[in-house]
Amino acid sequence: MEQVTLPVEAGVVVIGGGVIGCSIAREITRYTPDVVILEKESDVADGTSKANNAEIHSGIGEDYGTLKQKLNVRGNFLYEEFVEGLGVDFRRQGLMIVITDRTLRSEVSKYMPKLVKGYLLKKLIPKLIVRNAEKKGIKGMRRLDRDEIFRMEPHVTPHAESAVFDPTYGLVSPYKLTIALAEHAVINGARLFLNAEVTGIRVEGGQLRGVVTDRGEIKTGMVINAAGLFADEVAEMAGAGGFKIHPRKGATLLFDRDATAEYVHSSVAEFRLPGKKKRLSKGGGAMPTLEGNLQLGPTAIETNDKYDTSISAEEIEEIFERFYYLFPHFPRSAMISAFSGIRAPTLEEDFIIGASEEARGFVNVAGIQSPGLASAPAIVEMVVEILHRLGLPDQKRADFDPIRPAPLKFSELSDEERDALIATDPRWGHVICRCEYVTEAEVVNVMHGIIPATNMDAVKRRTRVGMGRCQGSFCGSRVAAIIADELGIPITEVTKDGKGSQVFAGEMKSLLKEGAS
Amino acid sequence: MKEVRKPDVAVIGAGPAGLGAALAAHEAGLRDVMLIERDIELGGILPQCIHDGFGSIVFKEVLTGPQYAQRFIDEIAKTDIEIKLDTMVLDLSPEKRIKAVNSREGVIEIEPKSVILAMGCRERTRHQIMIPGFRPAGILCAGAAQRDLNIEGIIPGTRVVILGSGDIGLIMARRFTLEGIEVEGVYEIMDHPGGITRNVVQCLNDYAIPLHLSHTVTFIHGRKRVEGVTVCAVGEDLKPLQGRERMIPCDTLVLSVGLIPENELSKKAGIKLDEATGGPIVDGMMETSVEGIFACGNVVNVFDLVDYVTQSARTAGQAAAQYVMGTRKREGRPIEVIAGKNVKFVVPQFLNNLEDNVSLYFRVEHPERAVKVHVSANGKLLARRKAKMVRPPEMIQANIPAEKFAEAGEITSIEVDVVSDEE
Repeated sequence: MEQVTLPVEAGVVVIGGGVIGCSIAREITRYTPDVVILEKESDVADGTSKANNAEIHSGIGEDYGTLKQKLNVRGNFLYEEFVEGLGVDFRRQGLMIVITDRTLRSEVSKYMPKLVKGYLLKKLIPKLIVRNAEKKGIKGMRRLDRDEIFRMEPHVTPHAESAVFDPTYGLVSPYKLTIALAEHAVINGARLFLNAEVTGIRVEGGQLRGVVTDRGEIKTGMVINAAGLFADEVAEMAGAGGFKIHPRKGATLLFDRDATAEYVHSSVAEFRLPGKKKRLSKGGGAMPTLEGNLQLGPTAIETNDKYDTSISAEEIEEIFERFYYLFPHFPRSAMISAFSGIRAPTLEEDFIIGASEEARGFVNVAGIQSPGLASAPAIVEMVVEILHRLGLPDQKRADFDPIRPAPLKFSELSDEERDALIATDPRWGHVICRCEYVTEAEVVNVMHGIIPATNMDAVKRRTRVGMGRCQGSFCGSRVAAIIADELGIPITEVTKDGKGSQVFAGEMKSLLKEGAS
Repeated sequence: MKEVRKPDVAVIGAGPAGLGAALAAHEAGLRDVMLIERDIELGGILPQCIHDGFGSIVFKEVLTGPQYAQRFIDEIAKTDIEIKLDTMVLDLSPEKRIKAVNSREGVIEIEPKSVILAMGCRERTRHQIMIPGFRPAGILCAGAAQRDLNIEGIIPGTRVVILGSGDIGLIMARRFTLEGIEVEGVYEIMDHPGGITRNVVQCLNDYAIPLHLSHTVTFIHGRKRVEGVTVCAVGEDLKPLQGRERMIPCDTLVLSVGLIPENELSKKAGIKLDEATGGPIVDGMMETSVEGIFACGNVVNVFDLVDYVTQSARTAGQAAAQYVMGTRKREGRPIEVIAGKNVKFVVPQFLNNLEDNVSLYFRVEHPERAVKVHVSANGKLLARRKAKMVRPPEMIQANIPAEKFAEAGEITSIEVDVVSDEE
């Protein structure tokens, strides 16, 4: 794919292969196949879209009246329709907001009569939360008493006083969704270019003319700036900036499926009235993944480095401390992974979506931090409306293919289906990843998929190989060998995540040769 | 419909434990023994252990890992034990039904009369010990690095920091050095090495590789590939000491921070596990809480010597044979084996008969000099031995001859204590 040269011209160019860029590109292909996606990394979903909590929020955590809040509520409502035909799982697990004896700050509750405190925690606060949600357009919220809490979530702290249940919260794998959207776009004619970094935007006389990349230039009259963390820099290139993305890290801890399956059934968060410090995130929670792992997080830490996906010891401790109160007997030792993603907020903390006046044809879709994943369907609606005004055809294509075939997964097949596949290709009977039961055939297949995986992480995101409790200790070099074989490269050139991330240093004895350092 | 095989015993895993157990079951008279292995060859981890030091108890000579494995493989070749290689067991039910898959037969069901669990263990990873930092290429476990070098023939890095002084880490420090890979040092959070003394001497001291006790890695640097690690001294509470950090440039971090018995199948079968060992609770004949399912080797607890693995495998193999042939002896009430003074755990955790000789395996909680090991019941000594030094990484074996049980009268429990020799 890297060798392919960029087209001379394109109807629309989408900058950024994250969930927002791919959603918009897919939507554009309903009207025209003439769209190009440019992604600077080696795979789609390689930035913020690969490292978040997979939650489809309802909008309850957003300030009333913001663009974020409106698009979140609308986006959540549209989700089933949005994922239809993509072959991606989406499930509404709901959110339980638990009100505990520390929901009221101690300096407030200290002098409060017991009866008043009880009324606040058991009745008034839940009632206010429900009313607040209804005002934002979130439907189906209800108060839970203690019995209901423990029946639904037996591990929640006995300090729980009451709770509110929001049934609209959902889960989707953010990277699987992004890959599926990108593939669906490609099936319908979009052209995706990986390892293609935008270095300039050509604007003449207030009119957008083209996009300059490190691999050549594309003439175009429409550009979507969905560059995530780098959206401010891309906007600046077009003279359509004036906003600043300030990166904010969020760390999440991930736990072994066997040890934590069924630990929580819905997302569970603790409700705490805000103190003096302004909150930077919705506070995170404990939530399952679609595969059954438990996650705790995320944190919210300002950083000045857009590549700082590190996690500090303090962050890990902070997460555990925060959740020990909610889950006193939490199985800490079952942690198998921790990751950090970077949100891309603007200083105003709201989404910036709109056509530029300085560069006609250039559309910013920026500041899409959480709940961007949840808002994606509504963001798409809004952007496409803008594009229609800029000249995107109004007529939907008759030849749009509504289906993106999902790769088959051994672990999800019946024994009869497995046998049938093994009969045609024995690699279906060869389990490579022992923790997640991924077969050799699956690894090979995603390397020849619609958007071929070309490195370890890309294979992992598509197949779950190495995502289990051993974290690739058993399968790592075996997967590397398959990648080398399929790409026809020496194993020493196999990377974890694109250029500079070679997995191995050399062939045996290479360091012992004369002149080797 | 595929034919459902119903062997006398199905052994899951063909490392040293599985090989030994299959052979023992066969020798004890079982005619239909099936050995299931997920890898493409027999031997488990042994083929990649090209260093020597194996077999001093079982064979009274010093062998390499492949040699040790070959002894068993050769014996098995003389039998009609059915070997299923490249076959992954997907499920094991409490009724002992096995579901497995391979490329030749597809999904197969097996209904053995007895099962021996011999899945071994896996390595603890970076996140299980919660090392902060980035997630670049170049972080791997010592056993994985050993496989890369000794089986795949690839070099994982050029300048390595090793965290943890478990045996595999020590062995790999030497192996890296011989391969021209620079080992900056081995860092160990505890104030004593994690591996056995022989390996500290032969793998580090002999090659002038520094061992930094009471140190840990507190940060991994590098976004794409490891660029370095921050190491830091730790206090008595094992927490990093402020101001004692040091950044070490390197392209690889190798972890030797412990092994975890691999019991996912045991859980599926509803077998009770011991929190202290991470493996099934077993009786003196290595039978688990599910009747007819036995376990041996590192799936029960992580042994330090392969010889002990083989011994436990023999017991399990013989026991499975007795179970199938209906010759098993069983007392009315299980007798608990208690981990007493300075004893972290004992395997087996209980005994079901007192008519056979019994080997107890245990680890101490903390190092201690000049000690006596006491195995007692009803205040009577069943076995004792002296040791100049006991250390947590080194497993201690205590053998109780069957006649001692008779001498002790009615036994309700057995206790293992490590006491000072002066006491």
